[in-house]
Amino acid sequence: MSKLRAWMRTIAVTFEVTLRQNFTDAFVIFAIVVQPIIIAVLALWMLRERGGDFAVFVVIGSGMTGLWSGLLFISGNSVTEERWVGTLENLVASPTPMQVVVLGKNLANVIQSLLSMVASYAIVAWLFQLDVTIAQPLLFIASLALTVIAFICFGLIMASFFIISPAVQNFQNGLEFPVYILCGFLFPIALLPGWTTPLSYLLTPYWAAQALHGTATGAISMDSLLLSWGMMIFFSVVYVLVSQRLFRFVLRKARVDATLGMQ
Amino acid sequence: MNTIEVSHLRRVFTTNVGRIRRQTKEVVAVDDVSFEVHDGELFGLLGPNGAGKTTTVKMLTTLLIPTAGSATINGKDIVKEAEAIRGGIGFIFGGERGLYWRLSAHDNLRYFASLYNVDPEVSVKRIPYLLELVGLKGREKEKVEGYSRGMKQRLHIARALIHDPKVLFLDEPTIGLDPVGARELRQVVRDLQNEKKTILLTTHYMFEADALCQRIAVINKGNIVAMDTPSKLKTVVQDLSVIEVETFGIAEDVLNQLRALNFVDNVSVEDHDQKQMLHVQTTRGSAAIPDLMKLLDGQRVGRVVAREPTLEDAYVRLVGNSRGSD
Repeated sequence: MSKLRAWMRTIAVTFEVTLRQNFTDAFVIFAIVVQPIIIAVLALWMLRERGGDFAVFVVIGSGMTGLWSGLLFISGNSVTEERWVGTLENLVASPTPMQVVVLGKNLANVIQSLLSMVASYAIVAWLFQLDVTIAQPLLFIASLALTVIAFICFGLIMASFFIISPAVQNFQNGLEFPVYILCGFLFPIALLPGWTTPLSYLLTPYWAAQALHGTATGAISMDSLLLSWGMMIFFSVVYVLVSQRLFRFVLRKARVDATLGMQ
Repeated sequence: MNTIEVSHLRRVFTTNVGRIRRQTKEVVAVDDVSFEVHDGELFGLLGPNGAGKTTTVKMLTTLLIPTAGSATINGKDIVKEAEAIRGGIGFIFGGERGLYWRLSAHDNLRYFASLYNVDPEVSVKRIPYLLELVGLKGREKEKVEGYSRGMKQRLHIARALIHDPKVLFLDEPTIGLDPVGARELRQVVRDLQNEKKTILLTTHYMFEADALCQRIAVINKGNIVAMDTPSKLKTVVQDLSVIEVETFGIAEDVLNQLRALNFVDNVSVEDHDQKQMLHVQTTRGSAAIPDLMKLLDGQRVGRVVAREPTLEDAYVRLVGNSRGSD
């Protein structure tokens, strides 16, 4: 088998295996279904004054919180869990690069986290009987596809940190809400102090939120949309390139510090 | 030709203690280890718990970077050419960890086959063959979480063989298994050796090393203290006999008095609940029994037997006096 074909196959099998394991995990269901529903209900109440397109804004925003939580916790935990059950050593000692395995895992985690948008839609459209119409469906689908890619690439960077040591998990909880807020999932970043804006621009979830909210509500110009797409592509390429070096560094460090088999 | 070459391997673990006044503590797990394993050989690394066996194996399987020294597998350096080594070796570490419990045995093997770039056409045939080899046929669709410890160990063997590696590292493969499970697993190891695989086996069971290995290195406190064939290692104690004495609640000071006798070379103790079995290595053979009994006067003593020394006695002599059966 050619190397590329072998890697594609590993990604496909990892994708399948991860999904099958995740759907037997109650925490996963909570993070990608229950939590976004809670956030959607709260956001509906908080944003009711916004009028017009607020329902679709809530669906996309709370769905994105599910996407982010899925990536942060499920992808992060999956590395920690591999370490905990002793399989991280098996993965690292296999001839397949760790990045390929993480790519398969992230693909599964992000795709299944799209369920959070379905859950939010169900609550808003069916339970609250609110109008949830996507203003620019084709552009929205293209934005969603780019979002999935951007989140997967962002997850590569995150996973590399989780490999270093189980202690990294201590910072995991602290990252959940700052990203919701910094990336404007539910509130515009214009509400935040000016010095946080450059930080938002560095995060692909911010550009994803811009593109998804914009195409869903129709309140985005083509120029702004192209900028969001361009930034998602640009940062995804940067994340992939940086993650290559990061993985090499963290895997060597983990072998020096003996943290691969640590419980 | 040597498949594995290890030269002055050393590994030090560093831990930090304290939060405000952080102190760095160093533990030498492997001090200075050198050995070679020939092509197709079953080589044993024998030593007590904490001797450095697992650390050595983890360095050789590219999971740890040595602090000093070097090693090669099939001529490739374990640090500089780790990626090139990984596809050609298989390993298992004793215990139940290292498998996906929420997946079936079949799915575990399918996943590891993809990680080791095994062609799907090959893995379709190899997985049933391995399940048959390790005796898991018929249970392969069940989730691993429902497996016994022995079944998990056997699945580990199948996992390590999924890519048909030429070199195998088996780190205490029979630990925690019941006698029947351990015997079956040893048979699997023998079968693998018949397939001319190069195997490095670590164990702290002497009879296991004696029964399986062509050569044995005895490791203690991170150093190789002896290395030879099992029969030659036994000559270390050819001048000795062993008196086995069954006691019930023997005191530590009496044991120390026994160890101090000039005709006693070593005393090891095997604990069995209320009962202890003393293995007294002596240069005087059965003639030492009356003097031993004199010292044990007042103690509750059961069966007393004199026997020829075994590899275990050689091991005890090499690694020094130890209390406890493991």
